[in-house]
Amino acid sequence: MSKYKKLVIPLIAVLGILLVAVFGHSLSVKSADNHNRIPIVFWHEMGGPSEDALEKVVDGFNKSQTKYKVIPKYQGTYDEAIQKILQTHNTSTSPAVFQAFDISTAQMLHSGYTTPVQNFIDEDNYDVSKISSVARAFYANKGKQQAMPFNTSQPVLYYNASLLKKYNITPPPVSPSYSDITRVAKELYEKSHHKVKGMTVQVYGWFLEQALANANAQLANNNDGHTGNPTKVSINNPDTVEFLEWIRENIKSGDFIDYGSGASAGANQTAGFLSDKVGIFIQSSASIGQLTKNNKNELGITYFPHPDNKKANGVAIGGAALWISNDKPKDVQRGAFEFIKYTLKPEVQAQWQKSTGYLALNKDSQKTSILKDLYAKNPESKVPGQQLATAKANYSNSGILMEGMQLTRQLEEIAMETVYNGGNIKKALDTADKNINDNLTQLNRANGYN
Amino acid sequence: MLKTSTTDVVPEKNVQAKQRHGFRLTAKDKYFASIFLGPSILILGLFVFYPMFKTLYISMFLTNTLGKTTVYVGFQNYAKLITSPDFISSMWVTFIYVLAVTVLTIALGLLLANLSSQKLPGISIFRTLYSVTMGVSVAVAAIFWLFIFNPSTGFFALLSNWLNLPVVNWLTSPTNAMWAVIITTVWMHLGFTFLILLGAIESVPSTLYEAADVEGASPRYQFFHITIPMISPTLFFVSTITIIDAFKSFGLIDLITKGGPTNATNMLVYRIYKDAFYSGNYAKSSAEAIILTVIIAFFTLLQFKFLEKKVNY
Repeated sequence: MSKYKKLVIPLIAVLGILLVAVFGHSLSVKSADNHNRIPIVFWHEMGGPSEDALEKVVDGFNKSQTKYKVIPKYQGTYDEAIQKILQTHNTSTSPAVFQAFDISTAQMLHSGYTTPVQNFIDEDNYDVSKISSVARAFYANKGKQQAMPFNTSQPVLYYNASLLKKYNITPPPVSPSYSDITRVAKELYEKSHHKVKGMTVQVYGWFLEQALANANAQLANNNDGHTGNPTKVSINNPDTVEFLEWIRENIKSGDFIDYGSGASAGANQTAGFLSDKVGIFIQSSASIGQLTKNNKNELGITYFPHPDNKKANGVAIGGAALWISNDKPKDVQRGAFEFIKYTLKPEVQAQWQKSTGYLALNKDSQKTSILKDLYAKNPESKVPGQQLATAKANYSNSGILMEGMQLTRQLEEIAMETVYNGGNIKKALDTADKNINDNLTQLNRANGYN
Repeated sequence: MLKTSTTDVVPEKNVQAKQRHGFRLTAKDKYFASIFLGPSILILGLFVFYPMFKTLYISMFLTNTLGKTTVYVGFQNYAKLITSPDFISSMWVTFIYVLAVTVLTIALGLLLANLSSQKLPGISIFRTLYSVTMGVSVAVAAIFWLFIFNPSTGFFALLSNWLNLPVVNWLTSPTNAMWAVIITTVWMHLGFTFLILLGAIESVPSTLYEAADVEGASPRYQFFHITIPMISPTLFFVSTITIIDAFKSFGLIDLITKGGPTNATNMLVYRIYKDAFYSGNYAKSSAEAIILTVIIAFFTLLQFKFLEKKVNY
């Protein structure tokens, strides 16, 4: 016992310090605040540099008025946040306003847990015409705006322009075809004497869906769910096969490097790209910030590649929207909408694009000095916005309005991984087809949709 | 002291009455039983039994988008899982992983413990080095190994570039990814296993070895016929702990492979988590949880039935 006696006093001291630190902190937060501000809890999934940028947006809103106080809370990945939002509804911990990603739109819409922002738009006569219509359409249903797009991205293709110059390789055109990319990747691999891998495409279901959108093909029936709840998915179609055959061809000629799937794969391929190990990769436009800040090389950006014999149909937007929960009192919901309006101001969106790479959604943002300076410094950063502007919205490139998209993505990724590891394309897609449809049928049955 | 005084207090008659009627309890007994058992029954019921039965209940339904039970399907979820090649492969993957992790951890731990039990100058430096992974958290270990496995800038990639060998795709090829996860897990567990086994080896009476030396037994003979039998209770304990830990492995998988590639490292526990909290399919993951419970119960029983008998206490 005497052995431990020596430990007791330090232990109590440490505990005491911890207690003071924890409670003292919460006390100081409370006292520093204005007493009568209405707290608006805001759940988001922005990590890393984007989180810093988002906190600046929130700070800006809190300073711009004295009635509300938005409290941002990071909730992990997009996928995990969805279940947290659904399962905490009607409890005291649930958020007043939350960020939910593109593929959860159908789920949120059907949950009945949200107040359509259209209600507030009508109340305020808020002019939405300045906000990108393609982005708005993604989160609208039957003419009613359900949520407001906030962070919107486009998948683009990045290449190392300095390396291409070094080896005298003609850069790909602004809207490249699959074979344009294959040519550059092969030349880079050969001319660098196999020191630089030509290209990579991360195992990411989003890219496969975008390849279909760009080929004007639909994954789910009922026009990708835009004209009715989908009942059948056909992933084994000629356009998916062509996309995977393109990757397979590059794997076979050795110029392709596979970084796998998930967040660590994304980090690994960025590290590989920045250290001249791989010349070309596809990623969200939201990576521009990171790729221009730490890059000693010149960065090249093109549109998402399209099949050789087809014109590019344009890709769907990615990213997330802000939704308002309906389990909070009227004044809290009102505050949530005030915050949403603030996030869409031209300067806020312009600064947001500059610091993250997500596209500014307010058309007036282009006139701000923030973006003008950015384009003068990095002309390439215009490309994603141009890709968004040139695409004409149709059912194929407005996203897939279907529940169970998270599992669908996982199954798409398994099919991609099978192919990357040398498996048969048709067989991999057949398996994915069967599993996705099984899940969809069961989900529709559980939800009572048919 | 306390024990004897209580037995003294119990009147003779009462004892006889109990013997006659088996386990009939008096009102006083019931009162004390409820005081002593009540809290644990309450806590276990709330946090163990209620969730367990709720899981069983959910597993017999389909759940909708909000995670609520809607359509009763009986054992259909189970039938679907048992016939699904995906789930079967997950089970195999889990067994291979648990087996590999347990065998490798114990073999390496035993080797290191035996080496560092030698009385040599400076041996305590090695003892510290071998047990240092005990202080490493899962997240740190995962990030550390991810740096090593990175195919273009990682340690292994640089090493094989330097030696002009082809770069191994540690995390993208299904078989290698499994090894990557096994290596990382073994590395994580090694410190603890080493420390426990070292303690056991150190506590074997030295007279046994002295007697063996007199008899002229070789070091190898001494290891297998003195050390191993003498530390068998500890080996049993360590193997049980490692098996249970390996079955529960989550953090490393989540941070290193996320169950990929092509489900090659999608262990049962990780699958349960993904089906519930990624896909929102609570019915399916509940059925999986019940199956996992049955499997672990089976193995624990097996272990106690067969392994425990061989243990020399």
